[in-house]
Amino acid sequence: MRLGAIITIGVLFLALASCKPEQDHYTPTPYDLGQPSYFPTKTNIPEDNPMTEEGVALGQKLFHDPRLSGRDGTDGIRSCSSCHHQENNFEYGAPTNTHHAMLPLINLAWNRTGLGWNGGVATLEDMVLAAVTSPVEINADTNKVVKYLQKTTDYPELFEKAFGSREITFVNVERAIAQFVRSLVSSNSKFDRYLRGEEELTEDELKGYELFCTEDGADCFHCHGGGGLALMTTNLFYNNGLDDEFNDPEDRAAVTGSHWDRGAYKAPTLRNIAVSSPYMHDGRFTTLDEVIDFYSEGVKDSENINPLMHHVMDGGVQLTDLEKAQLKAFLNTLTDEHFLNNPDYSKPNQ
Amino acid sequence: MLAACTKPKENAEIELNIGYELNGQLLATDTLCYVNEAGNRFLITEIQWFLSDIELLDQDGEWHKLRQRDATDSIALLTEHIFYIDTDLLESQTLRGKAIPVGHYTALRFTFGLDENDNRSGLFNDPPESEMFWPDVLGGGYHYMKLNGRFADGEGRLAPLAIHLGIGQNEDLTEFYQNYFIVELPIDFTVAENAENQLDLTMVIDNWFRNPHIIDFNEIGSHIMQNQSAQRLLNGNGKDVFRIGKPAENENDTIMGKDNSLAEKFRKAMQKAAPMPHFWRWDNVKERFQDLKNSNSSI
Repeated sequence: MRLGAIITIGVLFLALASCKPEQDHYTPTPYDLGQPSYFPTKTNIPEDNPMTEEGVALGQKLFHDPRLSGRDGTDGIRSCSSCHHQENNFEYGAPTNTHHAMLPLINLAWNRTGLGWNGGVATLEDMVLAAVTSPVEINADTNKVVKYLQKTTDYPELFEKAFGSREITFVNVERAIAQFVRSLVSSNSKFDRYLRGEEELTEDELKGYELFCTEDGADCFHCHGGGGLALMTTNLFYNNGLDDEFNDPEDRAAVTGSHWDRGAYKAPTLRNIAVSSPYMHDGRFTTLDEVIDFYSEGVKDSENINPLMHHVMDGGVQLTDLEKAQLKAFLNTLTDEHFLNNPDYSKPNQ
Repeated sequence: MLAACTKPKENAEIELNIGYELNGQLLATDTLCYVNEAGNRFLITEIQWFLSDIELLDQDGEWHKLRQRDATDSIALLTEHIFYIDTDLLESQTLRGKAIPVGHYTALRFTFGLDENDNRSGLFNDPPESEMFWPDVLGGGYHYMKLNGRFADGEGRLAPLAIHLGIGQNEDLTEFYQNYFIVELPIDFTVAENAENQLDLTMVIDNWFRNPHIIDFNEIGSHIMQNQSAQRLLNGNGKDVFRIGKPAENENDTIMGKDNSLAEKFRKAMQKAAPMPHFWRWDNVKERFQDLKNSNSSI
């Protein structure tokens, strides 16, 4: 009698469990970006991919896992972090064989102008697909990636926690990595602490900030923000006078079709700029000194140059050696060691 | 007893449509086809600016403020009386206001830019408004306007045109000056229930550069954020930049059409004319020009 009852209850339990949709076990925890009060309030997060603790954790694992290439062995397997190095602002830190130099993966939850130097990639989810399949990046077959991950002992459970299903799809791979990349927030540089009243800048750093923020100084702020635009970029596109002839088929004009956008590229954030070499869309400069020299004396005029390059007719903003040093001192205050070493962004323990 | 019988006034939503006119034509951006009073050829790429404290005067002498219709949460309510307008953002050209009482209105007034009560750093955290920030070292707050473009300089090169208006400073950056101004225009506008209730406001861009101060872009064309004397000249010119009505759309609607010689003769004729109150200047110009055309074929 007792055995019969136990068997009946057990059968009933199994029957109920098998009828229950997997989504009932799906209780993800909303993710808090934890940004400071002076950051934008409006994020750019797709409605069909809200950030969750589980999704971000899965994305962190995938981002750093060479199994994302869907291949065995040590020959040619790559993860996102093979090239996106945390210590280099999630850039490579050296020239690459991609068409353009890398842009930092940083504070992208607030980016609203597309991705890449020309803004041609609409979402981070699309960017994941492009990177995974690009012959010069991970060079993977998405079907093989999914089959490979499905066979692992760890991923099906993590996908279930993040998306409510043990069945892995590449769409969910995209979503998880995109969630992780959106979680990469830099807001604890010395300049942030200055903005929050927690730390003072030195006299040279302050003078550099004044140069950064004045038209009669280095005139950086219109495109690269400052205290009033703490992402340190507008995320908009400018021809900054690097060249006076334009042959790049992947400049901003490739997206807008406008002649006026020839030679225009996204203004990158200057957060962690000291560790983001090489500089410019084609990585032509390797040091901050070269970049500052360019804006001081090397700006080239063309009909495409952005009107905000106010000093183009003088060839640049004409800084003295002292002013260049002060400007560099300020730029160094944008380095966020907490971000560059944050274990929440590093390869997780397996 | 009387109060109980008085029917409360109904409210209705209104919209203020923004337009731009230059050289008597509808503004075409990125087109090098304009000439200012100083003879500079120029183009305009974009105009980004703030209007705030927009109010309409009813027949009882009461002002009614235009508040952003979409402002509902507590943060947005703080800035519901401030409108950001951008030639690149079509939706920003229509200022959608919450309901105001139905009835007849006789004047419109607004602040060009932001006054000292509003113009504080940190007011906007989100783009596009936050992209208008005016560095604290220069007085803080936000640009009133960024008018960007290019002009042909004295050597025939295309130089940056960047008319950026905001708080001014002395040379040492120790004293700051408010450069916003208030504009008041007469209107004949009825707000009715179940009606579109649309009012048109046009920025006559030419007037930034010609009345009363002729602006030569070779002298005041770019990096003027730290040039308070330039800010004051443009402040003086700005007060008759706005008129009620739609911008001219083609040469049939314009004052000057595309006949530059006629336009030049007309300008000279107008320079001899007595100054007019700025509220009425534009409409009177139209009327006078028509009179001149009709009465004197030599013009």
